[in-house]
Amino acid sequence: MNRLLSAASLAVMGLLLTVSAPAKAEDSPSLVVQRTGDAVTAVLADAGQSVGQKRHGVEAIVYEQFDFVTLSRLVLGRNWKQLSPEQQTQFVEEFRRHLSVTYSKNIGDYKGEKPVVTADRKESDGDWTVKSKIVRPGAEDVAVDYRLRQSDGRWKVIDVIVEGVSLVANFRSQFQEIVSKDGAPKLIDMLREKNSKGESFKSNVQVGKN
Amino acid sequence: MRILFGLLISLLCLAAPCFADGPTDDDPLEGFNRPMFSFNDTVDVYVLEPVAKGWDKVVPNRVQTSISSFFENLRSPYDCVHGLLQARPHQAAVSFARFIGNTTFGLAGFFDPMSDWGLQSSSEDFGQTFAVWGIPSGPYLVLPFMGPSTIRDTAGFTADSISTVHGWFIPAIYPIFSTATRTVNDRARALKTVRNIKEASVDYYTAVRNGYLQRRQAQIQNRRGAATSADDDLYKIDEE
Repeated sequence: MNRLLSAASLAVMGLLLTVSAPAKAEDSPSLVVQRTGDAVTAVLADAGQSVGQKRHGVEAIVYEQFDFVTLSRLVLGRNWKQLSPEQQTQFVEEFRRHLSVTYSKNIGDYKGEKPVVTADRKESDGDWTVKSKIVRPGAEDVAVDYRLRQSDGRWKVIDVIVEGVSLVANFRSQFQEIVSKDGAPKLIDMLREKNSKGESFKSNVQVGKN
Repeated sequence: MRILFGLLISLLCLAAPCFADGPTDDDPLEGFNRPMFSFNDTVDVYVLEPVAKGWDKVVPNRVQTSISSFFENLRSPYDCVHGLLQARPHQAAVSFARFIGNTTFGLAGFFDPMSDWGLQSSSEDFGQTFAVWGIPSGPYLVLPFMGPSTIRDTAGFTADSISTVHGWFIPAIYPIFSTATRTVNDRARALKTVRNIKEASVDYYTAVRNGYLQRRQAQIQNRRGAATSADDDLYKIDEE
């Protein structure tokens, strides 16, 4: 249980340490991950920025490098088709905001972690998996894999797998239950409500020793 | 005790054919699991978490890490045995080397120099060994106080408890004390993590279930990253 929990919390860091920098069309998936990981790390390590500024910086980088539409479609699976185009847009927006609101709470906790790309491989459907580890001072490494898919000639992240736990699979499982019980509009409402609550707590982000 | 253990294994083997292959997100016992999960969460919120917060205030982070390393080191011989039971001699050797190295250079295991030298720990248990032997996981099951499990992992957990050496040779007070220390210390180290998961999940119960099953699958395959033959369905866009 505890291993699971620590893995999940590191998913948080994994997501934050993901990606950035203007990418060129010919950039390989590995290069995209490493370069952008370095860019996020630079923002997090910048003592001159407030937590709020860092959040905006990281958001800009991650939003650029993640394909949130594909990610959202994968998360909803078959249920995506049940949504009207308008609802689809709403869902992508609220889901993206959900990830930002919850994961950005850890921005103040940065303690010198560094992302290092270790390997990559091509998947049978043309995607690439880039394997990396987050090297933490005084603690064990955390394995973070990224799955990338090409869109508009650029490689973008469509899943993050932390210590073997896929973000897409985990949210798909949660959303599946909610959509099958209460329908997709209810899910969008739930996300929206959770997001606005999360935003209002944001000002009290605790930068504790944990 | 041993008879009980044997009985469990044979029961499990008999029951095996009625379980589907590998863990899925099916949750036939959800009616039992959900109330049990909220019971555990209530115990956590009102008892374990407050105690862990107190511990966290008093005990510095570095000491918490050392306590955790100490207990992990005590497990190493056990990890080694499981490496052998799973016919993974290399892994068994790593666990053995970690035990020798961390017990000596790591000052009785309170430090973990072997990780810095590239020998990473792999935590093994009977649940994983059973899986390597081909015994299917059976349905997801939430145990009182112990949390997420499956039928197979529950049998594994029972076998673990029976086969833990100190249970046989040392007076009962020691295991009780050490389990309490480890539980509180681990919980203290996970304070932020649990809060994160609660906030980041839309359905906490399902997030933990899915996370547990994915994580166990990775542990059984001794991988830390994505599955090699990634679930094709997961990454397929439904185009119709």
